Amino acid sequence: MNLILTPTFGISFLFLEENAKGVNPLLTPELGTYVWSLIIFLTVLLVLKKFAWNPLLNFLDEREKEIASSLEMAESAKTDLEKIKEESEKILNDAKNEGKAIVNDSKSKAEESAAKILEDAKAKSNEFLDEAKSKIEIEKKRAIKEIKEEVVSLSLDLATKVLQRNINDDDNKKFVKSSLETMKADEAK
Amino acid sequence: MLGEKTGKWTMDQAPQYAIDHVANSPKNLFEFEALDSLSQKISSFFGINSDSLFYIDLGITKHVFLLFFVSLITVSTLVALIQKYISNKNNIPSKFMSIIEMFVIYLRDDVLKNFIGDKEYRSWAPLVYTIFFFILFSNLLGLVPIFDLFGLVGKLSHIDSIYIFSKGGNTVTANVNVTFAIATITFFAFIFAGIKKYGFIQHWKNLAPSGLPWPLYFVVVPIEFMGLFIRPLALTLRLAGNMMGGHIALIIFITFIFSATAEIGGFAGLGIAPFSVSLALGLTMLELLVAVIQAYVFALLTAVFIGMAIHVDH
Repeated sequence: MNLILTPTFGISFLFLEENAKGVNPLLTPELGTYVWSLIIFLTVLLVLKKFAWNPLLNFLDEREKEIASSLEMAESAKTDLEKIKEESEKILNDAKNEGKAIVNDSKSKAEESAAKILEDAKAKSNEFLDEAKSKIEIEKKRAIKEIKEEVVSLSLDLATKVLQRNINDDDNKKFVKSSLETMKADEAK
Repeated sequence: MLGEKTGKWTMDQAPQYAIDHVANSPKNLFEFEALDSLSQKISSFFGINSDSLFYIDLGITKHVFLLFFVSLITVSTLVALIQKYISNKNNIPSKFMSIIEMFVIYLRDDVLKNFIGDKEYRSWAPLVYTIFFFILFSNLLGLVPIFDLFGLVGKLSHIDSIYIFSKGGNTVTANVNVTFAIATITFFAFIFAGIKKYGFIQHWKNLAPSGLPWPLYFVVVPIEFMGLFIRPLALTLRLAGNMMGGHIALIIFITFIFSATAEIGGFAGLGIAPFSVSLALGLTMLELLVAVIQAYVFALLTAVFIGMAIHVDH
């Protein structure tokens, strides 16, 4: 054992200050202390590994994962929000356009229908007018006819009165006939 | 301490006083019969007698006591803070917890994932974290002069059971045996990492790069094999040396006051006091930085060695 250990600690013999055992007190091999150090350090290592380092490293890993995932989530939420914003803008624009289109459409339709109504009204009034005109014409003709007949009967009466004689003879009849025909012809005109 | 033995402080005692402040206590603090007999049994099993330099004395020295103390503080602080932090998922971490979290995340992202790999790092993370925080707590606790206060109280009240705590070093990481133990764990960790990845035979083949002309292997293989053992040894001496050096310098600066008083007079000591106290204060600030840096370096190199064993690309 000494053969192995002496060279290891041999460096200590180079120092001049020596203690009772003939070795520099700063570099004395104390195997007891060495053994105790090993035991204590290994115990500390095992205890800390179980109760400190592994839990802490797991915790740190978990937290880093959490941070990374929440960052990712925030990023995706941001893009989602942007998408939603875009979509809503699009919808708003569409609605505006549609509204405009509807308004325009209804305006043109209204105009159209107004024009049509006006036209119809015009046509109808024209129709009424024409009818009225034709009726007036007919009435006029009838009135003229009636007046003529009245005039004929009046003139006949007047003639009878003026002549004071019966128009039974042929001359008279002829005369009356021809004058009636001329009247008829006039009327036909 | 030596000044107490001779009764009067002399300038020559300063180095020995400083060394005593860093070195382990020579005597066991607690006389546990069971531990003594266990030590004897184990030592005789290896054929070591009690006079030998390598006698396995399992008695509780000051550094062993401090190791228990440091591990208790490390475990209770970290477990309490982390469990509290984890159980209140919505709570923001406390100030102390956020510092721990900062170290943990920094080590994970810049050291573990970088050197060991994104997939393999989880199985080695507890080891690297434990090395970092155990060494950090040991270093920082070594800067707190609790035991010097015990010494003062013990001396003033003449209670030896309190005074005995001031004997020996305050910093466990200034003891090569402690740092060598942690380096041993690093050593086996990177060998185990290689064997786990490539199998037993392939791992040892990976030591030397393949495809060299065969005579070169007579040079490369011994160098790589030596390098294998030099790595933990360098880790051991780097950490212990740093902690030792800082504390020795700190004590030497303070002893300026006593030396000046002893050699020249009381007023000289008073005159030099502001100078040496401000030096010691500045050095303590530096030591705070060194405490973090050395813990980081140890953890970093552990991760680097494990990564080297896993990713063989010379």
